[in-house]
Amino acid sequence: MKIAYYPGCLAQESAKELDMATRWVCRTLGIELVEFPNFSCCGSGFIDEANEVLNIAINARNLAIAEKAGLDMLTICSTCQGMLNLAKVRIQDPTVKSRVDAALKPLGIEYKGTVQVKHLLTVLTQDIGLPAVKAKVRRPLQGMKVGAFYGCHLLRPADEMHSESAEEPHSFEDLLAAVGATPVDYRGRVMCCGFPVLFVKPKTANTIAGRQILDAKAHGADAMATPCPLCHTSLDAYQNKAAKQVDARLDMPVFHLPQVVALAFGATPEELGLSRHLVRTDAAIAKVQPSGSA
Amino acid sequence: MAADTVSVPFDVYRFQPGKDARPRYQRYTLDLAPHTPILTGLLQIRDEIDPTLGLRYSCRSAICGSCAMQINSKSRLACETQVGPELERHGRIVVEPMRNQPVLRDLVVDQSPFWREYNKIEPHLKLDPRRPMPAGQPTAMTPAQVERFKETPRCIACAACYSACPAAEVDPEFPGPMALAKLYRFVVDPRDTAHQERLVRIQPNGLWLCLRCHLCTEACPKDVRPSERIRDLKEMAIAVQGATELGSRHAVGFKENLKGAGQINEMKLVRATFGLTGMVGQIGQGIRVWRKKPEIMKKPRKIEGMDELDKIYAALDPPAKEEP
Repeated sequence: MKIAYYPGCLAQESAKELDMATRWVCRTLGIELVEFPNFSCCGSGFIDEANEVLNIAINARNLAIAEKAGLDMLTICSTCQGMLNLAKVRIQDPTVKSRVDAALKPLGIEYKGTVQVKHLLTVLTQDIGLPAVKAKVRRPLQGMKVGAFYGCHLLRPADEMHSESAEEPHSFEDLLAAVGATPVDYRGRVMCCGFPVLFVKPKTANTIAGRQILDAKAHGADAMATPCPLCHTSLDAYQNKAAKQVDARLDMPVFHLPQVVALAFGATPEELGLSRHLVRTDAAIAKVQPSGSA
Repeated sequence: MAADTVSVPFDVYRFQPGKDARPRYQRYTLDLAPHTPILTGLLQIRDEIDPTLGLRYSCRSAICGSCAMQINSKSRLACETQVGPELERHGRIVVEPMRNQPVLRDLVVDQSPFWREYNKIEPHLKLDPRRPMPAGQPTAMTPAQVERFKETPRCIACAACYSACPAAEVDPEFPGPMALAKLYRFVVDPRDTAHQERLVRIQPNGLWLCLRCHLCTEACPKDVRPSERIRDLKEMAIAVQGATELGSRHAVGFKENLKGAGQINEMKLVRATFGLTGMVGQIGQGIRVWRKKPEIMKKPRKIEGMDELDKIYAALDPPAKEEP
């Protein structure tokens, strides 16, 4: 399949390892990533707070770029997915649409509403399908217990995201099982990572992150995995702060979703930029039993 | 077992503070039709098996909002949640009291934190004494004004949103989704004369602590959509007061940030939010992250078609006029 690749800001900057792993997975599965150097940031939920219509217009421009090329969009961030999709929903309001159109039309940009925005998780579980993913697994992650952490904007608001059940999703766990890992069930998997107030009230953000990590740990997780680089920032880059807030040793490796899949496809830690994580991932990888031994 | 019934295991949270050392879960198994409301099951337990089970309920029709509780970790009204789907997904029904409010006994919580926050927003119309409402006559509103109320009056104050809110869980200062949705209702009421004052007052330790995780919107049995109304309040608060709080500075700073390259400049954003002096406190963690991810210091690539983005900003986000 061929799809417009919307990497989002972080995967091009501080979460480059997410981009590396995405390319690995897509190459293996024959997903052709078409790149558009004119995509802008999605606003990350913050521009939405400051100016809703501006945020919709920025994303209508992004949507129109893919639409014009006749391609659907691939996101690798729960927040990008949420913002692009929310723009699709809110632009249906005639007042909003006329304001956005008035800003875009003079630029020769037209958003028709035909483009679909899909997160990599959806592409892997629905478009490619789990049997095809399974067929590419060279090193099943047997023995590794992984707590999926979905990220709010991939799931909610469910009616606007057209997501699977917002409170009891299972696609991520299905994917983890398909690559041989053991998914861990815990309440925190659908909770918030705290990122939106990481700057505003770090103590709150870090406590929230710490509690979700503790929850995953209490349910036996060797690692967590997330489809959102903002969650990754909260859970990995600020895990030291989270540990301090919940007063516990956490030492929880946190993978980006495509890193887990690529590991099972045979990629090396170097190819996936695992050394860029703040929390070392080797202990989790060491849990993987060699094929045939389990 | 009667025809068309299934065996339903309930694991019910039991706790009497002051008497029990710690909470425990008690298993009760009932034969119920799959469409039976969980509240009906709990009342059957209380009436037929264990009269000591404490729970709160009244109308049984999802109107009074008394029977909100945690059902398999979700904030729900027990009267409108059926056993069948829960059993199918979880194999059992775990019933716990609402979160973020102290337990009084079993499934009954002390709702004072919830009501305290509600009262704090002054949930009543503040009219202009110089322009009293005409006695005995309706005050007309335009359809557009009424449209803004379409969701918030549906609230039944069940506190399911408060129970689901991670900000309320960690931050006792956070007003919670219901109080903020209620505040919105008064802020957009054309009869209320305290819009500005309300929007200014709610900002420190209030509005900007919302995580926009939408867990409240998901939990709400009446589709009040608190998280979306909180978003509206944030935009209105910036319009009234400008970017004066850390939260509003971050939101406005983010908006301004894209103007350079169309992609986020992480360093510039930190500076916009904290100011140069405030950045000092961020240095330690910044260096820690930078050693693994040096890109946080780099300027982002400028997108192609930046002129388009500039024009969108010019059309939809014109610079604010200076205060006279």
